[in-house]
Amino acid sequence: MASIRISAYTDQLSVKAGDTLNVMASADATESVRAQLVRLIHGDQHPDGPGFIEQIVSSPIDRDWPVRKQYIQKGNFLRVADVAGKLAPTGAFTLHAYIFPTTPDAGRQMLLGRWSVDGTAGYGIGINPSGRLEFWVGDGTAADAVAAEVKLIARVWYFVAASFDPATGVATIYQEPVINRYNSLLSKIVPYDYRSHVSETLRARPSVPADTGFLIGGATERNPARGAFVGQCYNGKIDRCGLQSGVLERTTLDAIRDGGTPEHKNIIAYWDTTAGYNPRGIGDTVLDKGPHQLHAEGYNRPVRAQTGWNWNGRNDCFRLAPEEYGGIEFHADALIDCKWQPTLSLTIPSDLRSGVYAVKLTCDEAEEYTPFVVRPVAPKAAICFVVPTASYLAYANISGALDSPAQAVHGATSIFDEVDVEAYKNNIEFGLSTYDLHDDGAGVCYSSWRRPIINLRPKYRTPGVGPWQFAADLSIVGWLEAMKYEYEVITDEDLHREGLAALKPYRVVLNATHNEYYSEKMLDATEDYLAQGGRLLYLGANAYYWCIGFRDDEPWVMEVRRPEGGTRAWQAGPGEHHLASTGERGGLWRHRGRPPQKLVGVGFTSEGMDQSVPYRRMPDSYHRAVAWVFAGIEYDIFGNTGLGLGGAAGIEIDRYDLSLGTPPHARILAMSEPFTDNYPLVQEEIFFMTPGLGGTQHPYVRADMVYFTTPNNGAVFSTGSIAWGSALPVGNFANSISRLTKNVVDAFMAAGPLPGGA
Amino acid sequence: MTAPTESTPQAIVGRRRIVPALRGHGGASWHRWRYPLTRRTPLLIETDYNRTTLAAERRILNPRPVLWTVALLILSFAPPLFGDNSFVAASTNFAMYSAINVIWMLTIGTAGIFSLASLATVGVGAFGTAYLSVYFGFPFWAMWLVGPLFGLVFGIFIAVPAIRLEGFYYALLTVGIAELCRVYVIQSKTLGAAAYGLFGADGFVPKGMPEHEGLVIGYYAAFVLLLLALTLYRAINGQRLGRLLRAAPEKHEAFAEALGINYRLARIQVFLISSAALGGVGGFYATLLHGASPSLFTMDQLLLLLAMIVIGGIGTTEGAVLGTLIVTLFDKVFIDLGPVRLILIAGIMLITVLFLRGGIFGIPDQFAAWRAKRQSERRGLQSGKGGEIMPEDAIEIADKQSIAVRRFDARLKEELRGLISDALIEEHRTTHGKRRSDPLERVLTFFRRQAVADKYAILAVKAFAEYRIVALSGRRGVPPRVVDDQVFATPEDALHGVFVKRVQDLMES
Ligand SMILES: [Fe+2]
Repeated sequence: MASIRISAYTDQLSVKAGDTLNVMASADATESVRAQLVRLIHGDQHPDGPGFIEQIVSSPIDRDWPVRKQYIQKGNFLRVADVAGKLAPTGAFTLHAYIFPTTPDAGRQMLLGRWSVDGTAGYGIGINPSGRLEFWVGDGTAADAVAAEVKLIARVWYFVAASFDPATGVATIYQEPVINRYNSLLSKIVPYDYRSHVSETLRARPSVPADTGFLIGGATERNPARGAFVGQCYNGKIDRCGLQSGVLERTTLDAIRDGGTPEHKNIIAYWDTTAGYNPRGIGDTVLDKGPHQLHAEGYNRPVRAQTGWNWNGRNDCFRLAPEEYGGIEFHADALIDCKWQPTLSLTIPSDLRSGVYAVKLTCDEAEEYTPFVVRPVAPKAAICFVVPTASYLAYANISGALDSPAQAVHGATSIFDEVDVEAYKNNIEFGLSTYDLHDDGAGVCYSSWRRPIINLRPKYRTPGVGPWQFAADLSIVGWLEAMKYEYEVITDEDLHREGLAALKPYRVVLNATHNEYYSEKMLDATEDYLAQGGRLLYLGANAYYWCIGFRDDEPWVMEVRRPEGGTRAWQAGPGEHHLASTGERGGLWRHRGRPPQKLVGVGFTSEGMDQSVPYRRMPDSYHRAVAWVFAGIEYDIFGNTGLGLGGAAGIEIDRYDLSLGTPPHARILAMSEPFTDNYPLVQEEIFFMTPGLGGTQHPYVRADMVYFTTPNNGAVFSTGSIAWGSALPVGNFANSISRLTKNVVDAFMAAGPLPGGA
Repeated sequence: MTAPTESTPQAIVGRRRIVPALRGHGGASWHRWRYPLTRRTPLLIETDYNRTTLAAERRILNPRPVLWTVALLILSFAPPLFGDNSFVAASTNFAMYSAINVIWMLTIGTAGIFSLASLATVGVGAFGTAYLSVYFGFPFWAMWLVGPLFGLVFGIFIAVPAIRLEGFYYALLTVGIAELCRVYVIQSKTLGAAAYGLFGADGFVPKGMPEHEGLVIGYYAAFVLLLLALTLYRAINGQRLGRLLRAAPEKHEAFAEALGINYRLARIQVFLISSAALGGVGGFYATLLHGASPSLFTMDQLLLLLAMIVIGGIGTTEGAVLGTLIVTLFDKVFIDLGPVRLILIAGIMLITVLFLRGGIFGIPDQFAAWRAKRQSERRGLQSGKGGEIMPEDAIEIADKQSIAVRRFDARLKEELRGLISDALIEEHRTTHGKRRSDPLERVLTFFRRQAVADKYAILAVKAFAEYRIVALSGRRGVPPRVVDDQVFATPEDALHGVFVKRVQDLMES
């Protein structure tokens, strides 16, 4: 018997009393799962800590629920709702498109057409298994095709077309390169002859089943278990494309190749991928400029705002030259939304106190947790913990340890879990993280929570690190519980949507271990909060780092672009540094004039995952303005234990730097002991490459604990270390790091001036 | 300045192009012709970029139509034009036996039924039609028409055991049936027991025609017969029945059956069609020789026939024709050699069976396989030289950087091997989570930097209780594999276990 497996996600990450939360689950080898509502207290199962702690909350969902296997439609494509059947031409027709294939050797891929794979019916132009452009038709029993003479070369722009005349059966392929000095991998110095013009007399005539829609980047398939789905997805870019009536002459096509607009009299549909941009970005609808307005709708967020066939290297954003940004990037392994049917729904009870919760699904040994946050309807507590859901999205389903140079980055051999192996074996069925690459090597710039996320689970251990993000952040939650603080929880989503209003009710805000990804609104809210007297404990490192964007209509999808600077998993293409979701420039906030130092006194300086180290008090910490922070801390060296690699300073670390905007009155209270050379100085600090950039030799490789005050009795306490949070639970929450954090929280909770008269 | 080192002598590699390649069509419009009523394009021309020059070059993937056209053109005029009477007669024999072998190939190759009764079927057709002509006055054209009927009836008769018997036993049975036929005709008075054959049947060569002209007409008739046989082969093997049977190859019949392919019926259909065709050839035989001879049923004739298809290579029409040509050449043309020629035929057959896997037409494939094997053997020998990539291998590697990385790594490994000692391994064991010495960090950095495929990692079977060493695949969809049966209780032990394995690999490389 196959082993039972349950996978699930919720439609929201942040809810409050009265909201309805839907849980979407899929299960293998069982038809029923037991559901429970649980409050999550602690996740990390490291033997030095308290282990996994959950509290079961009785609720109406507490029973068995029927489940079934639910399928996932992966891949980018554009779907045209052609109700009137305009795209099933009876006479002669011509398909045309500019294309930039990235994996022409990856098997059959559809560019555009109406093709039923199982029905062998319809027509389409695409790439055949030999890597050649092909036009094919099918009459329901047999297919026939004409292919280009030469193979397509990857990462080169082509203008391609195919015409078909049912009267004669003659099908003609048109393939011409449109390479300029900027747009392709290769330039004109390479002696390839990319051109091909082949015609053949086909035996079949296309018949288009009514239930087979027109697709750009995919073909319709059906199987008994799954029903209809889209297959033969394409990897690469498609720029302006269309369907015209009649067999277009070669000279007519040459004119389009050279940048001309298709003649209006022949157009059945013309998808102008450059239309619809506004300064704030562009959505998933690709406009048809033809007579029937057959707009195409993107699935799984095809990447827009990408350079097109005519990009000439001068303009670096669609805002300057939308006509050069017609490139839409398609990936066969993209996944934004599983679109599963709800398995169960939960109305959040009014007496449920704010906190981190999960719906726990079990069946025999198999279990699944779908975490979410319950925020208060009306804030009452003094303390707010901000759960960094945007950063969770960035790392969602990261597969780094199994197929990237993770071991070199971590400075350690990866230790992974069965759940990682399972996901890898199933071809990353729940999609990729923004740290991964698509199959064609392009970086993943979108991540969404509408899918099971295997590393957003309380017990999950990240290969090579251990506790990371959600599981590590639960150590802060566990500490708040252990210290018996009254606290409330919100998420990045709330911060992004409500801005300052989300933080303002609280005297103290705790940030998590690694809130790396920030939208402009989130950053503004934090800055405004501090300026109006808010008090922030920043208990992590490498935060406020990447600029990200959300579209208002789909807040569950986060976008990140990774331009030239920063410690980055991939490199965005030339001219593709602006977010399609918002129109702003992506990359590090530092490179847009807002280094983290400017907000919290410290910013990213190094990372390594071989070991964490203790802190050592710095002379400035004995000033009466800040000495209270160390009340009860007996030793100069402290924080030499932790669930995160055995110390309080480590994993990723931040540094004080006046030149990057650390407030002039900030003090370094403590600094980490030396790191190994597996902690190198970050890339954005390196201008000339020199030897000696590792932790044993470079003075900038260190974690700084920094404190400063802000206007109206506000203050910031930054630890400069991801390992800090995981050091809290050691010794049943009784240790120097716990004590020190409590000193700060207690002081920050008290109304009025801060201790020390500062 | 470093002193120049002596270069290692290397042979120049790369194959010289003998025939200049045809360029692709480039920007020109190219209408690809197809054979009428099919989807096939002539010669299956494929254009691809040459790796060395990046030029688009045309290659003929299927040169057989060209070979056939040339061969058939020569056959259509050469024998009558250049040969004497006995050569024309021998050519007629060659054409007729080629036709028999091409049809027989349908039975053995396409249908996969190992029947040795092919010549016997021809014999039944020949005796049957000769009988009708001698006793009932059937003219030659009527003999041609009824020949297939005799073949079909005989085919049905011997098809029944084919359903039940395995290859070898069935072959034996058909030999037995042929022998039975022989014994019958040499004892049957009606079938000319006394005259060693039934003669006096009608012929298609007009009476009174000069000998040479008569022989030429006979040759052309046999040539047309061969063309008909080839057409039949094409129609059966290249169409529905052939495709069906290729989907159910030997040892995979059960799978094909599960897919709903009725391969048994298709086999029998092909067998009966070829039996009828062989009967037709029998009718032709009787009209050519004005009768039939019991030699059609003899073992020596059967063995000659077998020699023909074995030498040419079973499974292709060109093999059948070439094998027939060679054997006919020895048997009929070099008749002066006497019985020695039969020994020669046996010798050729023996050499073919011993050294050639697919007959003469299998030679190109076999040569390519042999060359690949030799290359890999040479590669094996060279890998002793520190894993250097040899010039002939470099041709095959598209990304030349991988050659550079391999050479770099080989040199670095040599250096790192000098750092490995028991003390270093002990240092690794005792310094987990602590700062390590520079030599140890150098070794560790090299290990961690390695490519993902086959890289070691650790699987937590049970967190904080049970760990195992695995090797990564580097390919999505392919899970890591467990490399040995070591089980570690703590992450630290497992990390050291991986280190020891990597040190072992380093020292062995
Ligand atoms: Fe990060």
